Amino acid sequence: MTLLKVEDIKVYFPIRGGLFHTVVDHVRAVDGVSFELQKGETYGLVGESGSGKSTTGKAIVKLHQVTAGTITFQGKDLTYLSRGEMKPFRKDIQMIFQDPYSSLNPKKRVLDIIAEPIRNFERVSVTEERKIVQQYLERVGLNPDSIYKYPHEFSGGQRQRIGIARSLTLKPKLIIADEPVSALDVSVQAQVLNFLQDLQKEFQLTYLFVGHDLGVIRHMCDRIGVMYRGRLVEEGTSQDIYKNPQHIYTKRLMAAVPDLSPDARGQKIGLRKQVAEEYKQLYSTFFDENGRAYDLKPISATHKVALP
Amino acid sequence: MEKELLRVENLTTSFCIDDQYYAAVDDLSFAVHENEIVAIVGESGCGKSALALSIMQLHDKKRTKSEGSIIYKGTNLLNEAESKLNKVRGRHISMIFQEPLTALNPLMTVGKQIEESLHYHTDLSKKQQKAKTLTLLEQVGIPYPKRTYKQYPHELSGGMRQRVMIAIAVACSPSLVIADEPTTALDVTIQAQILDLLKDIQQKTKMGIIFITHDLGVVAEIADQVIVMYAGQIVEKGSVKTILERPLHPYTKSLLHSIPTVKKEKNRLHVIQGMVPSIAKMNRSGCRFKERIPWISVQSHAQFPRLHEVEPGHFVRCTCYKQFHFPKEGGTAIR
Repeated sequence: MTLLKVEDIKVYFPIRGGLFHTVVDHVRAVDGVSFELQKGETYGLVGESGSGKSTTGKAIVKLHQVTAGTITFQGKDLTYLSRGEMKPFRKDIQMIFQDPYSSLNPKKRVLDIIAEPIRNFERVSVTEERKIVQQYLERVGLNPDSIYKYPHEFSGGQRQRIGIARSLTLKPKLIIADEPVSALDVSVQAQVLNFLQDLQKEFQLTYLFVGHDLGVIRHMCDRIGVMYRGRLVEEGTSQDIYKNPQHIYTKRLMAAVPDLSPDARGQKIGLRKQVAEEYKQLYSTFFDENGRAYDLKPISATHKVALP
Repeated sequence: MEKELLRVENLTTSFCIDDQYYAAVDDLSFAVHENEIVAIVGESGCGKSALALSIMQLHDKKRTKSEGSIIYKGTNLLNEAESKLNKVRGRHISMIFQEPLTALNPLMTVGKQIEESLHYHTDLSKKQQKAKTLTLLEQVGIPYPKRTYKQYPHELSGGMRQRVMIAIAVACSPSLVIADEPTTALDVTIQAQILDLLKDIQQKTKMGIIFITHDLGVVAEIADQVIVMYAGQIVEKGSVKTILERPLHPYTKSLLHSIPTVKKEKNRLHVIQGMVPSIAKMNRSGCRFKERIPWISVQSHAQFPRLHEVEPGHFVRCTCYKQFHFPKEGGTAIR
């Protein structure tokens, strides 16, 4: 079942300049991206910084206004809904932010942070609310007695789990995770990733997982979209992308991933040089004259590549 | 064996917290040779950066105490006066910092910042300084050196800024460079470029590099020797191959087990329980890692584990590695 369908969305930011501060050009942060999320799957968006992956995620929850295109959630078009009309859908789509240090209000207690979505959408008594918060705190592995603490009293991993608890309280259907582990240490990262997988099973969640760490994306995602300069250049199952990358940019990305065996080192440097060379040569066959990637074309049932 | 560049012996660096000194770097000894890249790995809070700053003596003298010896070319840097140190820093030992945007001066052009170090440490004329700066910029792979020379740090991308940092660090051809997480803030593709660049420069100049990182993938790419730090101590030391392929210490094993890699299929990641103890609350006797592997029986931890050689060139602290195993069910409960 298709839960979310994103069709050809564009997010342009105006560049103003000149005498009357008029719009002279646009930054094409997202420039025609389409994908679908099936219920219960994890879809990964990968790319370098500036490739528009976070902007895509944020556009879905309408933190950025879409310039063109449609976003369909459970068969309903969300793209041009007003704030009020959007409200019922906010319950179903939640977001986990990248930086656990800036996404929690430092002046609020954990209780208030986690209860905020409940207060906005449901009518529950104070005692019941506290019970719900404690239950979720326990579920994310934090001490239920810590509801009166403030965010600064927790470590990075614990804060990220507070953010996750907050996103769960309304029992959402879709969670957009915007680089949820990139600010964390490896051991804490493992904890959060395992935990996200457990939650997915328990609550039948669908994830849109935005990230730049190819190891993490491989670990978490069923299907992956590779973004470059606001466009998808390749999409497929993780097998397709990691074992059989077709687009020259995806190949370059894969070649850049450090290998854990020191023996492969020399080989890896050679491979990178070769791919960089190939990238220069084949640039014009994979990108049009404006440096824009072509539209995705299917090359197998699951695998799509941006080819002319 | 190449010539020894720097020897750190029994270095202890303590920070003052509430009128008490606590060691963040605890009795550390190692050496760096010419033409060698020594990687120092560990989670945040293990004392990696504290170590780097101790070698450079950049800690606030009023609140830190360093004991032991840091021997560079026969002199102990810990006993040198500040004026002497200024001649060493940047000239013989230089540093690449993690976040180039905070380490570079936002009000100075890139060219001037590179020239600054040449100005202090060499007697080149203004003209020669500029020429040298332009060649340096070219060496670190900046496409338009003449234009970049006049630009400010904010006009450059993260990768370009890091290249500028490297240019500053290698400007006076130091014999040792300390790189403190130089690629952490960068994308994988840029990271690969920077690593290749560093390796390239290192091979040409035969300098030694102390490379601090928490990313074991990066270690595999660049290091010759690896030092694994935990709670201020060295817990394991050896060549890259030994450490990554035949690790012995439970901490090294756990770290390697907890990273998701491109090669592994979806399975559960190992979670290291708990976290790195804070220096003030740390239990300093026995294996410092024992709290994070509670399923290992207490008897297998020695009271004061020493760093001992288990095979030539491979050192391990702690005796519990002989009994160490991962818990049965892939991951452990989150707590």
